[in-house]
Amino acid sequence: MIEDYLVLSVILFCIGILGVISRRNVFTVLMSIELMLNAANLAFVAFARLNETMDGQILAMMVIAVAAAEAALGLAVIILLHRQKGRLDSNVFSLLKG
Amino acid sequence: MEHTVNYLVCIPLLPLAGAFVLGMMHMFTCKNPLPEKLYSFLAMLGPLGSLIFTLIVFATLREMPAESRYLTQDLFTWFSVGDLHVDMGFFADPLSTLFLLFVTFIGSLIHIYSIGYMAGEENFGKYFAYFNLFLGSMLILVLGNGPVVMFIGWEAVGLCSYLLISFYTKERDNVLAGNKAFIVNRVGDLGFVLGVAVLFWGLHSALGGAGFDYLNIKASASSLTGGAGLAVCLLLFLGATGKSAQIPLYVWLPDAMAGPTPVSALIHAATMVTAGVYMVARFSFLYASFPLAGDVVAWVGILTALLAAIIGCFQRDIKKILAYSTVSQLGYMFAGVGVAAYSAGIFHVFTHSFFKALLFLGAGSVIYGLHHEQDIWKMGGLKKKMPLTWIVMVIGALALAGFPPFAGFFSKDEILFMALAKGHWMIWLIGVGVAGLTAFYSFRLIFLVFHGEPRDQKSYEKAHEPPPVMTIPLIILAVGATFAGFFNLPSFFAGDSMVSTWLAPSLLEHHSEASRVTEGVAMVLSIAVVLLGIFYAWKTFAFKPQDKPLTGFAKWAEDKFYVDEFYNAFIVQPWIAFGRTISNFIEPNIVDFPIKGTAWLYGVLGMLFKVFQAGYVRVYAIYMVIGLSLMSIFLSQSL
Amino acid sequence: MYIDTLFSIFALTAVAGSLGLVLFRHPMRSALCLAVTMISLAGIYALLSAKLIFLLQLIVYAGAVTALIVFIIMFLNLREKDLPEENERFTYFIGGAVVLIPVAWFMIKVMKSIPEVKNSIVGNGFGSIKEVGQMLFTNWLVPFEIISLLLLVTLIGAVVLAGIRRESND
Repeated sequence: MIEDYLVLSVILFCIGILGVISRRNVFTVLMSIELMLNAANLAFVAFARLNETMDGQILAMMVIAVAAAEAALGLAVIILLHRQKGRLDSNVFSLLKG
Repeated sequence: MEHTVNYLVCIPLLPLAGAFVLGMMHMFTCKNPLPEKLYSFLAMLGPLGSLIFTLIVFATLREMPAESRYLTQDLFTWFSVGDLHVDMGFFADPLSTLFLLFVTFIGSLIHIYSIGYMAGEENFGKYFAYFNLFLGSMLILVLGNGPVVMFIGWEAVGLCSYLLISFYTKERDNVLAGNKAFIVNRVGDLGFVLGVAVLFWGLHSALGGAGFDYLNIKASASSLTGGAGLAVCLLLFLGATGKSAQIPLYVWLPDAMAGPTPVSALIHAATMVTAGVYMVARFSFLYASFPLAGDVVAWVGILTALLAAIIGCFQRDIKKILAYSTVSQLGYMFAGVGVAAYSAGIFHVFTHSFFKALLFLGAGSVIYGLHHEQDIWKMGGLKKKMPLTWIVMVIGALALAGFPPFAGFFSKDEILFMALAKGHWMIWLIGVGVAGLTAFYSFRLIFLVFHGEPRDQKSYEKAHEPPPVMTIPLIILAVGATFAGFFNLPSFFAGDSMVSTWLAPSLLEHHSEASRVTEGVAMVLSIAVVLLGIFYAWKTFAFKPQDKPLTGFAKWAEDKFYVDEFYNAFIVQPWIAFGRTISNFIEPNIVDFPIKGTAWLYGVLGMLFKVFQAGYVRVYAIYMVIGLSLMSIFLSQSL
Repeated sequence: MYIDTLFSIFALTAVAGSLGLVLFRHPMRSALCLAVTMISLAGIYALLSAKLIFLLQLIVYAGAVTALIVFIIMFLNLREKDLPEENERFTYFIGGAVVLIPVAWFMIKVMKSIPEVKNSIVGNGFGSIKEVGQMLFTNWLVPFEIISLLLLVTLIGAVVLAGIRRESND
């Protein structure tokens, strides 16, 4: 019963990872990260239900707060990147190339 | 009697502090130098202070009973490893006090003279900083309480000689001469270090952790085995040949004339070259127990005396003549200490320091008066222009030649007589011959420089007597050169051998007695030889000397028997070739190979791995996921 | 069992929404798919009787964060040529899926190993605002304060990064 929720969380998490590695659009990458955070949240809440304590829910709340902060900063960075190059392609920003 | 005092350290420390202060002042005011008077005043403080403390030491020692006359001061433990325990400390006994007396006294006089000689020169402050350093180093050498502390001074005088010989750094030859002095001394220093090491190795069980100083070494010297003792003596003597310019390492001393003339005076009279004689006398208890080593010392000494005297007869440069005379006189000293006549050898060091300082400073006056002309064939007739210099130079030459009653006579004759009395009649014979040669070349110098007709009218016109700051030290030294010999008047002249008696507690000496008749005959013979030498010089050079090119043997002697060339061809050049081989072949190909190979390896690895550093964020995420995947595979095995 | 039915519906929409998020080319469509996923997840939280989280998910995620993303996308006024080509994204997607199979398999294996608990019925207060709030301000006070500090830092950071326009630029 609870397993189903956890399996759903794993599936959503993996799709998030796939989004990060297969997309070059920085918006999509950011949203994929949000998706992964949500998957983690789901696992927290499911475990909270399983153990019948509310600590997992509180952790989920904190993750939501962190995710909101991350979204705000991530979008700020995206605006900066767009301002610098006028593109949203993550391959354009390859200053680390060896 | 209390032997520990706390003022010994002041003797070397004052000149060293002076050197530090002067050096700092010179360094920080290089661009616009301070007045010379200030430098002169500061430079005089150190030597004079040392002289005062030396007199205090001398007075204190005289109060003590003769058999336990020594003062010590231990500052701190320098190092202590296993049985080797070395204290930084000082030790004054009659021997070192005698050295202290003439080193500080003559050193101070040369300092005063330098004020006049160096006036107006560039780097005035640096010169006096080096001078004070030189004096301080020599005092450490003499005062050190053991061979290890002595070695500090031993090395430091080598350094100072290098600095001062190449003082006029703008000329390449001067720098080369400084290098030569330093490198040749290094050869000797190696011998000294090895000698001290072998000495410790031979004594370490007998010392048993006690301080490695002269008193303890002397006390346990009897435990030294024959082979080790002989090795110590010969290795230490190798060190002495370097410092004191004996065969085979004498070649640096004539070249050392490149420096300013007072430097030559300081090196030849008061410091540096006497270090070897001092060291041999200091270890007299060793040399006395190994007569073979003593014979080697004596023979090397007398042969050096002969060789240097022959070369000295044919030189043209006034300073070179004096340099070879120093080598020759040092040979006498080693002959003296070699035949176990230590007090006679030391006494010759003492008198020699007076008349050699006098001769060098006199020569300096001549050079100064003629505006840096050094070739004696371009001088002549200077007697009228520089009467005072003439008088003191004649006194110096008479003392050098060993004419009674001047200082050199008593000391040199003492050495020769002791050699004869101890049965080394060959050494005596060569020594008498060398005395004749010495008389010849010293009066050749006098006659060519001061008598006859001026050969170079232009420089003759400009010649003048130097200022009083230079002549006063000359007069003092002339008085010393005349009367220093009476300090050790032998019993033959109803004297009481004051210096020998004073030195007796420091030295292990067995007096040999010979009959009065032998002594008298030997003395008359050597005076006759000296007179012959002077007469021959007078006959050849006093009236119409001919400066014709030398031929045959004389040409050989003028070119120093090609010893420098021989060393160059058979030692220096192979060594340079060896160095070249190492630097051109072994170093780049063998030593550098692992280093270059490592760098190359990392270069290649970098080329390989940089492919993975794509610069795209997504690619790094993929690497992470691959790692995660592999980790998952691994972990699910154990689940 | 209507709960199972509801879970199946929410799970399907969530997965569909997330796939849409990853595969749509235009970020606006992705953002809308994200909103769908968020709302489905909110429903699943409700099924797990986490009332407060349900509310927060709707308000903060589906409301604020998604609105913010949509707002920024529209703010940047993206044209077709501004977007990357990304023709290779399906290749990467399939390759990534293959690489992720061990990860998913491992995680599912871990989940399966959790001992099965029979589905108990929790009290009325479980997950309510009052109970969670009480817990938050007693046991979790310090982390809560740290989170508030984090939000403050984020605020300043966002202003510094995006807010200040340098004259020399553009």
